[in-house]
Amino acid sequence: MTDTPDISPIRSAVSKNLGARYRAELRFRAAGLAAVAAAVGILIVLLSSIVSGGLPAFTVNELELTVDLEREVIDPLGDGSEESLRRGGYSRVLQSAMRAEFPEVQARRDLRNLFSLYTALNATRLMDEVLENPGLIGSRHVFTMPLADDLDLYLKGLLVEDRVLDTDGALSLSVEGDAVTVRSSATDFRDLAGEFARTLRARATLLEVEADTLAERAEGLSGNDAEDMLYDAELNRRRALDIRATLERDAGPLALDASLPSVLVEVDGRAVALTSIAADGATASGRFLLGSEPVDAMSDWTLYVIDTPAERRRVSDQLIVWTRALEARGVISSAFNTYLFANADSREPELAGVKGALFGSILTMIITITISVPIGVFTALYLEEYAPKNRFTALIEVNINNLAAVPSIVFGLLGLAVFINAFGLPRSAPLVGGLVLSLMTLPTVIIATRAALKAVPQSIRQAALAVGASRTQTVFHHVLPLAAPGILTGSIIGLAQAMGETAPLLMIGMVAFIADAPTLGLEGFTQPATVMPVQIFLWSDGAERAFEARTAAAILVLLALMIGFNALAIYLRRRFERRW
Amino acid sequence: MSIIAIVALAIIVMLAGAFYVGRSRAIAAVAGATAGLHSLPNYHGYYVAIWTGLPAFLLLAVYGMFGTPLVDRLTASELRRDAVVLTADFEAELVADTATRDLEEALTMLRARAAAITNSMADLRDASGSDRDPHRLEALGVEQTELVNQIATAEEARLARRNMLRDAVARAAAEDGASLRALAGFELVHAPRERRQLFLSDARRIATDGLASRSSDELDAAAAVMARHDTQMRNLFAGLALALAVAGLIRTRGQVAVAFRARNHVESLVTAMLFLSSVIAILTTVGIVFSLLFESIRFFSTVPLTEFLFGLQWSPQIALRADQVGQSGAFGAVPLFAGTAMITLIAMVVAVPIGLLSAIYLSEYAGPRFRLTAKPILEILAGIPTVVYGFFALLTVGPAIRSFFAMVGIDDVVTQSALSAGLVMGVMIIPFISSLSDDVINSVPQSLRDGSYAMGATKSETIGRVIMPAALPGIVGAVLLAVSRAVGETMIVVMAAGQGANLTANPLESVTTITVQIVMLLTGDQEFDSPKTLSAFALGLVLFVITLLMNVIALRVVQRYREKYD
Repeated sequence: MTDTPDISPIRSAVSKNLGARYRAELRFRAAGLAAVAAAVGILIVLLSSIVSGGLPAFTVNELELTVDLEREVIDPLGDGSEESLRRGGYSRVLQSAMRAEFPEVQARRDLRNLFSLYTALNATRLMDEVLENPGLIGSRHVFTMPLADDLDLYLKGLLVEDRVLDTDGALSLSVEGDAVTVRSSATDFRDLAGEFARTLRARATLLEVEADTLAERAEGLSGNDAEDMLYDAELNRRRALDIRATLERDAGPLALDASLPSVLVEVDGRAVALTSIAADGATASGRFLLGSEPVDAMSDWTLYVIDTPAERRRVSDQLIVWTRALEARGVISSAFNTYLFANADSREPELAGVKGALFGSILTMIITITISVPIGVFTALYLEEYAPKNRFTALIEVNINNLAAVPSIVFGLLGLAVFINAFGLPRSAPLVGGLVLSLMTLPTVIIATRAALKAVPQSIRQAALAVGASRTQTVFHHVLPLAAPGILTGSIIGLAQAMGETAPLLMIGMVAFIADAPTLGLEGFTQPATVMPVQIFLWSDGAERAFEARTAAAILVLLALMIGFNALAIYLRRRFERRW
Repeated sequence: MSIIAIVALAIIVMLAGAFYVGRSRAIAAVAGATAGLHSLPNYHGYYVAIWTGLPAFLLLAVYGMFGTPLVDRLTASELRRDAVVLTADFEAELVADTATRDLEEALTMLRARAAAITNSMADLRDASGSDRDPHRLEALGVEQTELVNQIATAEEARLARRNMLRDAVARAAAEDGASLRALAGFELVHAPRERRQLFLSDARRIATDGLASRSSDELDAAAAVMARHDTQMRNLFAGLALALAVAGLIRTRGQVAVAFRARNHVESLVTAMLFLSSVIAILTTVGIVFSLLFESIRFFSTVPLTEFLFGLQWSPQIALRADQVGQSGAFGAVPLFAGTAMITLIAMVVAVPIGLLSAIYLSEYAGPRFRLTAKPILEILAGIPTVVYGFFALLTVGPAIRSFFAMVGIDDVVTQSALSAGLVMGVMIIPFISSLSDDVINSVPQSLRDGSYAMGATKSETIGRVIMPAALPGIVGAVLLAVSRAVGETMIVVMAAGQGANLTANPLESVTTITVQIVMLLTGDQEFDSPKTLSAFALGLVLFVITLLMNVIALRVVQRYREKYD
């Protein structure tokens, strides 16, 4: 009988800690899961923010105008030649079509405002249509053009906060000179007046609080700063007092200014912007933005409130009223945004498209493919199948590994110094962009090809050599065909990477504004161009709000292309993959 | 290009013919019994075709690359020769002109004064104790700025005077009936560098019936000269290429024989081609190193290295001309290094825990199905273009950070901050760290895990005390590689980190990085010789050296670790 050691104290010590250890285990596991979840969650947030930002840009609100292409206007020389047609007054044609929609607009300033419903560049588009089809001369032609970017955003509900209020009473408009008196049979304006009064009171309080804080801070300081602060504080107080004084004047009408929401009354083809609301909540005064005739007791009317104050938005009440009227008349309709794909870059967001960048990307990728794939495959073949094990080979290998880790922008510097300054190749050209990107993708292609070559079993080579094939015959007749799917997959993934690359192309000047798409031909390689990611970079910097959605839409196009490439790579791998 | 295209087509036709000739001669040599040949008939065909086509096409490629610059140079030198008399006239005028002399004297004086002030400013800056006089330093600074402005004005005046004289000489010559070519040469010689380029490219466009930016009689004359040289050069190269092809065909055709080792020749050519391809990788590195070094050395000849590496002030936009830099202290890169370091640090704080923990979870805990879905999703993060991350940082993360801090009560947070750039860059790097550490963790031998489990350790204890220590070198290597990627990342920081060269430790302010400054300095209009442009190459060199060092260290660490278990 052997002595079994008494293990009970160890057992009890272990079991005492066991609960804590299991809890620690659970905690660690949860942390790991949380990390994965965080990464996936961020991806979802990223993609959804871009999709939701980009989707609005795929539709566009278009103006469909019937334009009168009178011969004497668009064909000033009267011979119908191209030269004559190029001198035609196409903006005049568009302008008269717009004036036909709103014949009551007469004043110069109002007209200029009216013509800002679309960008003047559309005249060139009209000219192109006429040049393409001279049969249009003298006819009435339906011309479609995109609405100005801000109004497009407005119609998509992205520019302003607005709402339509319920109305109870019947509406009458009476005209006295320039002013309009709006009278409802119910107290339809009371709620609004109360709301605005509350807004003003809150604003006054805020001003006072700010004034107090400023005064307090000024006490701790001296000199000019303190004086400035005290002055600001005093200013704030006075403004607060002004607001309160207006509000105190009980029973008087509440004046609406640019700092308050706009209130529009729309009735029977007329639109009135309210300038004040009377204390009774049923009467208000305003001015006509559309139409000029009085109305008597109409019960079908709209009370439309734009909550974003006029001073904080880019479009005036007038433009909004016109847009709404045109929409109601069916002149404006929403359609798929073909401009996004049919046009190159433009200063006007509504006409800007990705065609130029897409063509630039295609040309650049053609250069990249034709250079990086052959050279990369040859290099990998040499290193994997031919190279003797010596210092020079080791140097090449180290070199390739290092090149794979060199920041892409350094390749751009190389391109600038060597290709552009030393070789004198043209700036901004897809040729140089493709050269730079192919040097950059070279390591990726080499590494992928080497992996594919390594995966071909040694027995294939030995069999070929055994029947008397030379090394070159072995490699080119047997190894390379078997490795081809892997090489193809790796190359496609490398090219997809190159397609999303931006930084090196900024260095070689592919960042310029280019309004014409390069031609998809031999001469296109040396024409100035830009590529998709650079276009995204350029648009993300755009001043107009509408470029934001365009940027996201361009990103979606780029991502779709890259997903397509990667899906192709995955398909090829699945289709041709052989396991040994 | 027409004659070149014709010759190229002819050579292609000859190529096919050469293949056929080689092949059929080989077959004929053994009267159809091809087994008697050393090499298969096709190899004879390849051999003849290669020597027919290759040299000729190489020559055409050389023409394609260097033809235009060569013609430009020939044209320029011929025009210059024509303009020798005019140039001499102009030089004489210039020497005789009193106004120019006065302006030059004034310039020398102003420069001397500026140098004196710079010296006394340097003395004052180094001074200590009672000699310190910030007011005087400030006054001197003001005076310096004024002097710099005066120098600029004087230089402009000198240039204007020079241009006036030049135009006068040209006009006088034109009235005296000088040849248009002489006038064109004179215009070319005395134009600024970029105008010279424009002049030549306009002449080229006129010569090839393209659209020139302007037209003048001088340009037409230059275009005529250029067209002549162009035709000559083209004919020369086309003839040479054709001659080479014919010579190659004739020579190699004669070599085809029964015992001729055509296959060996072709194969050694193929091997040489493969070898040359692999040399391109080295050439690329050499190109990078030399282009960066060359321009950086030019930069450091105007700005001292110590000033660049340790200076605290980065404002290259202020330094307008060569004589202003080095004195104004505008090229101190420390704010850029600090900004790069801060953004990298923030990115690592995000990426290392998330990347490492998800790698551990995926390799140690997750079932195969979870692993198969989660890994590709993580890899999608790696495939998203950086410009998309930049847009995300600019439009979503930046405003979110601002409103978050506004909620907390900090109001003056900018949208473009180091924090938003760093966070987003961290997200970009997560898959990088997770896949590299995944490899490392998987390469830890199973026996180590089994041993630990046998001792009764839980999974997390095994990971913490056995796997992590064993995998540590590899993980350190992975993190180093990730750091080098973060340092070299460009688009996210360009779009999201702002451009102000602030030397700050506050991640809520906007900072700038090495890569951002390279982009800022090299986009838009650039004159290639200004220190402003050259400084971008110096920054590029720093970037290259940093990333290279990190990669070398990381690869060393990883390799040493691998040797331990294989």
